[in-house]
Amino acid sequence: MLELDHNIKKKLIIGNHAVVQGLLQAKVGVTSAYPGTPSTEIQTELYKLSKKGKLYFEFSVNEKVAFEIAAASAMSGVRSAVIMKHVGLNVASDAMMAMAYFGVLGGMLLVVVDDPGCLSSQNEQDSRFWGRFAHLPVFEPSTNQEIIDMIQVAFELSEKYNQICILRLTNFTALNTSEVEYVPIEENLPHNGEFIRDINYQIPARYILHKNAHNKLLQFIDDERFTSLNPLIASNGKPQSSEKLIITHGAIYPVVAYLNDYYELNLPILKISAIHPLNEDLIQEMIKPFKYLYFIEELEPYLEREFLAIIGKNHLEQKVFGKKELEVPQENRIVAEALAIPFEHIKGDPTNSETFIPKIKPSLPFAPILTQKELVIPRTLPRLCDGCPHRGAFYVIKKATNYDDIIPSDIGCYALGQVPPVQVGDFWLCMGGGIGTALGFSITNDKPVIAVIGDGTFFHAGIPPLLDAVMHNRKITVAILDNYLTSMTGGQPTAGSPERIAPEQTQIDIEKLVKGCGVQWVKRVPVENIKENIKIFKEALAFDGPSVVIFTGICVIDLFRSQKIFEQGNKKVYIDQDKCTKCGTCLYDFSCPSILKYDGNFVINQNSCIACDLCINVCPVNAILIKGEK
Amino acid sequence: MKNRINIAIVGLGGQGVITLANLIAATYHSLEKQVCFNEIHGLSQRGGSVQSLLAVNDNDCPVFALEDTDYLIGMEKLETLRYLYTSKSHPIVIMGNRYEIRNTVYFDLEHFPEEKDIDAEIRKLVKKLYLFNSVDYEKKISFRIKPTNIAIFGALSEFTELGLDPKIAKKNVRKHFAKNPIAQSFNLTAFKEGKSWLKEMNL
Repeated sequence: MLELDHNIKKKLIIGNHAVVQGLLQAKVGVTSAYPGTPSTEIQTELYKLSKKGKLYFEFSVNEKVAFEIAAASAMSGVRSAVIMKHVGLNVASDAMMAMAYFGVLGGMLLVVVDDPGCLSSQNEQDSRFWGRFAHLPVFEPSTNQEIIDMIQVAFELSEKYNQICILRLTNFTALNTSEVEYVPIEENLPHNGEFIRDINYQIPARYILHKNAHNKLLQFIDDERFTSLNPLIASNGKPQSSEKLIITHGAIYPVVAYLNDYYELNLPILKISAIHPLNEDLIQEMIKPFKYLYFIEELEPYLEREFLAIIGKNHLEQKVFGKKELEVPQENRIVAEALAIPFEHIKGDPTNSETFIPKIKPSLPFAPILTQKELVIPRTLPRLCDGCPHRGAFYVIKKATNYDDIIPSDIGCYALGQVPPVQVGDFWLCMGGGIGTALGFSITNDKPVIAVIGDGTFFHAGIPPLLDAVMHNRKITVAILDNYLTSMTGGQPTAGSPERIAPEQTQIDIEKLVKGCGVQWVKRVPVENIKENIKIFKEALAFDGPSVVIFTGICVIDLFRSQKIFEQGNKKVYIDQDKCTKCGTCLYDFSCPSILKYDGNFVINQNSCIACDLCINVCPVNAILIKGEK
Repeated sequence: MKNRINIAIVGLGGQGVITLANLIAATYHSLEKQVCFNEIHGLSQRGGSVQSLLAVNDNDCPVFALEDTDYLIGMEKLETLRYLYTSKSHPIVIMGNRYEIRNTVYFDLEHFPEEKDIDAEIRKLVKKLYLFNSVDYEKKISFRIKPTNIAIFGALSEFTELGLDPKIAKKNVRKHFAKNPIAQSFNLTAFKEGKSWLKEMNL
């Protein structure tokens, strides 16, 4: 760490930690979240800080609850923040839409991190639209320093105009590590406030509050601190002599600026970071000197349409080149090479329509083939970890069900059960969607229906559809894969985490909860008892009504984090080649990545095997053995 | 603008790509050089493709055009070739010689190229190849920590063109693993191993 002066320091941090730094500098007292990549590092860092008493943070049961906690804190005059990924905001949006009518007293920031490219999500959404939809201002920073600075502006304006602000990041800005200047915050941030009853909150004619929300946005439009976040950046400090202007938004500005230099275009760039609301007069003023506007946006053509409306309404004459003309992909994350063709179009003559003849063949979605390839490189599919307990549950489900049975899965590690070679699960939709769709399938299909869901997802959104199953006595079987963690995001606590993992929480017993929902057939089984579990699962399938099997096993992340993995010493799992009948059950049905086939023999890759013992219980002839037990 | 150094680091989840990027960046930062890097990875599970792009002398944008890669660090052969195939440039490649077998190979889901073909292709596309024998090295260590990434970091610290300081680099390794003394000692040994490997190569 480099010291600049006594209270400003320079530090190399990841974008997500810049958010945390921004929140600390803004003296935020209450924070809440539900784990979701790519926003996870914000949450885990806040969780660590809360354990030291720095501020209040909780992993809430879902994003809607997290939002409500932050909203009520801000209504009580305490600065608050809620952090989630883009799909989490769909869950929280019910609360957000109405909360925008009330506004807040203490300043509130909603941090939402989008996942263009679906690197760890079921879809890719453009959260910029939420501002327009919910009447909330949206900030979109480009760099880590801007993240910290914009959070300060957002809180000041949120308090000034009593409205929630949205900070939108993407997986690019959130996972970018760079240097920032920051002020260390020594003191602990309190979370005591006071709720003052306000007649406004009780007004039955809600449309009046709707008007309030509109009026607040008008104040943002006229606020210079907000509008100055949309600077017109001259390239290399050169005076404006160009007729061309590139317009882009915060998240991908660094890529656009890099390519502007790389291709030596040196065009001015209008960077929009105050995404919503836009000040029409200022925008008109800024685009006036230019004839040709080139829009480069990740995901949806949001700004392109906003600007087209301004241009149309005011009878301006600027020519607009957008997604279609420049061939900027409307899906996937924007990387430098995806903009090679758009920049070629920008280089061209804007008065000549030949310049805009499509260069991308429809069969080649983004990256043009750059080199002559001799070999075909296969995909590297994501997979369950070596030693993942879910694999044991999937093996049981595979053996207890028929090929034609319908198996809706859910959001979590176990969604990878669908990826070959495990292949358990027919599709996944959204949090809790597995049980919900299972109900629909059981109404319309005369086949067994098995829903697969994890512990975290069950607490998050799986309980209401399970109640529905009980209410209407649906014959479905729910497999809850309980590993005491939200594993897919790197191992955050769930409501079911034991004291060992989350000492500050009260552990909720899934089995009792399921029984409390009114399910008559419930069994909790340890995942290692594979042969017995197959029998139990078949019993569950035969039950005439909703049945639940809870598989429990320890997550590999937990094994490494708790250092239990080191306790195993030199324990090794190996296959006795004399006993092995070469049936292939371990490889073809169980499919642990550590089991390989070498010269016709099945062997265990000691390099990756973590000696979890699961495969030992899978082998029909007990040829898989342990040696060197401690 | 070409005082920028663009470094791409590729591998599989669990091989330490992000840790390596962090250590390189931390060392440049300690040397008061501007640096930034980006992580491209999916889920937290092990085994998927992981990529990190790192730019020195730039504090804003580590996402560079693929034709502008100066150094490519590969933790695994297939992932290295995947990057080279999408790149127009012929970078200097520092690579571990592991070819990880994906078990989808047994299900006829994908066709995996022969190792010798991958080797030949890589050699065709690089400016210079430094091949670290990570397979033998990891065999030597009968433990669950496989510090090839740190060995490669040790080697990188000896590249004068990169301008990393071996002493500061080593200090950063020590700091990074400070919480786990066992891991720390394994990684410090790996760092030394990598350094002496590169010295031998350069002789």
